[in-house]
Amino acid sequence: MAKPYYEFFCPVKVIAGHKALEHVPFELSALQSKRPLVITDKGVVAVGLLNHIHAAFDGAEAEIQGVFDDVPPDSSLQTVREAAAMYRHHNCDAIIAVGGGSVIDTCKAVNILVSEGGEDLLRFSGAHNLKRPLKPLFVVPTTAGTGSETTMVAVISDKDRGVKIPFTSYFLMPTAAVLDPRMTLTLPPHITAMTAMDAMTHAVEAFTCLGANPISDAYATGAIRKISENLLKVMDNPSDADARLELAQASTMAGIAFSNAMVGLVHSLGHATGAACHLPHGLCMNLYLPYVLEYNKDVNGDRIAELLLPLAGDEAYAATPKAQRADRAIETIRQLRDALFDRCKLPRTLLETGKVREDQLEQIADLAINDGSIIFNPKETDRDELLGVLKLAWA
Amino acid sequence: MTVFQRHDNKKAMIMFDKAKPEAERLYVGLMMGVVGRGLVSTSHADAVVRKELSVFSAGYTFQMMVMPKGPAFTTEVQADGTLKLLKNFQGKPDLCVRFKHMSHAFLVLSFQEGTARAFANDRMFVDGEVSHAIRLVRCLSRMEVLILPKLVAERAVKRYPAIDMGEKMNLAMRIYGRVAANFLRGE
Repeated sequence: MAKPYYEFFCPVKVIAGHKALEHVPFELSALQSKRPLVITDKGVVAVGLLNHIHAAFDGAEAEIQGVFDDVPPDSSLQTVREAAAMYRHHNCDAIIAVGGGSVIDTCKAVNILVSEGGEDLLRFSGAHNLKRPLKPLFVVPTTAGTGSETTMVAVISDKDRGVKIPFTSYFLMPTAAVLDPRMTLTLPPHITAMTAMDAMTHAVEAFTCLGANPISDAYATGAIRKISENLLKVMDNPSDADARLELAQASTMAGIAFSNAMVGLVHSLGHATGAACHLPHGLCMNLYLPYVLEYNKDVNGDRIAELLLPLAGDEAYAATPKAQRADRAIETIRQLRDALFDRCKLPRTLLETGKVREDQLEQIADLAINDGSIIFNPKETDRDELLGVLKLAWA
Repeated sequence: MTVFQRHDNKKAMIMFDKAKPEAERLYVGLMMGVVGRGLVSTSHADAVVRKELSVFSAGYTFQMMVMPKGPAFTTEVQADGTLKLLKNFQGKPDLCVRFKHMSHAFLVLSFQEGTARAFANDRMFVDGEVSHAIRLVRCLSRMEVLILPKLVAERAVKRYPAIDMGEKMNLAMRIYGRVAANFLRGE
């Protein structure tokens, strides 16, 4: 059935490919910006990734005015204020985010403060409370998974109150996403695997949940195909820059897909497990994906069946009878997970994580049932059914 | 068809187009009143809804409104865990579900589009804690299941739950009774 109504929005310029970083100075000058601040974390600095950024600005009109490298894994209002102070101190006119989800969210929040003025970030929290464009924000992802470079959301912790503050606005979307394979070449195998499966889950859920639309479908299936074709290549040959670039593009495409179509129950369970057991998000996505697809299959098996083509290729798709395609698609995902487990021990069950106790399943179910993404899951879910999925995912 | 008939038809269409938004506005205004009162009444009659509301502290306010200044209702959690309808609420609620346009509210409140589908179709958005919104959507769904005929409720919720007909009728009568009393008392 044709989608009766949908919206699609992505104003983020994608700058992708070999030597993509060297395009940043020109792109900044086109926006009349010459004094960018780089915001990153200690890990990015430690592996020398900033050298590529500095080298890209050699001889350019624009000059990096400073580097704020103190973003923690779970960014806070205090961190945002400190980075904004550095921006103001150096009289900067643009931000370059170099890192993963936490760095990118921090930069979005810093951009609110330096564009709107003042120190009170909270008055812009919630949905659509920004009313005008912010300063240029260029995002250079150093993982291929979160897709944050294309979303209009930032989440910042208020450590004093012990709560996470969401910010949602079209104006939070970055100016550009810069995908350069050099920035992910040094990612360790298990991080490569879990972030790629995070991107895979973004794409699969964007395609199979209630918010799917024709344009997000195109991005989602494109992302799934790229991950299916390139993830194991990268795992076997981590210095394969072309395959790394394909994964980086897939992550951004999946980000565009899910920021327009949203995600479902895999994310509900993943967020809950992350909160209860402190497991990395990508690990949870890899773990729960096939179990949730099995659970949803009686409601949206036709959509899952369509995923066989980007997951397994045209020959496998053509050779599989229509009625078996959904099962084969799920089986293909399971096989990919097995291959990743063989290569880097990325857990496939809660037991394999070694960090979840069976008596925590009820707590996970209680958290998941109230997660925001559950409303977009195609199948209505109650607590008992969630427990059923969790028990299947246990061992 | 003569030129005059075509002219009359066109005139009728224009009149219909002008009348439609007004009819939608009246309907949405009425239904906002029914849903707000229904939610309050369900919080008194139904233990399932009261359990959902039990996590909210007394004084927590929830609003549903049509942008920019269209029909709305605001409820407040009471110390006993039930809801109370607030009249002429002017402050910022703890949680607000905003329909982007009157016609979007009409789609949902006339049960042509379910609540989850409406969120997925960007008809409305949440300002506040999303997990709280999920709870309140479940309360709304539960109320719809209780007070609407199955054929209509099935359009409003993702899955119509297994519910004993006697229990449904009993709760529906109590909810309708309270809603009617509230309307009659002008509350």
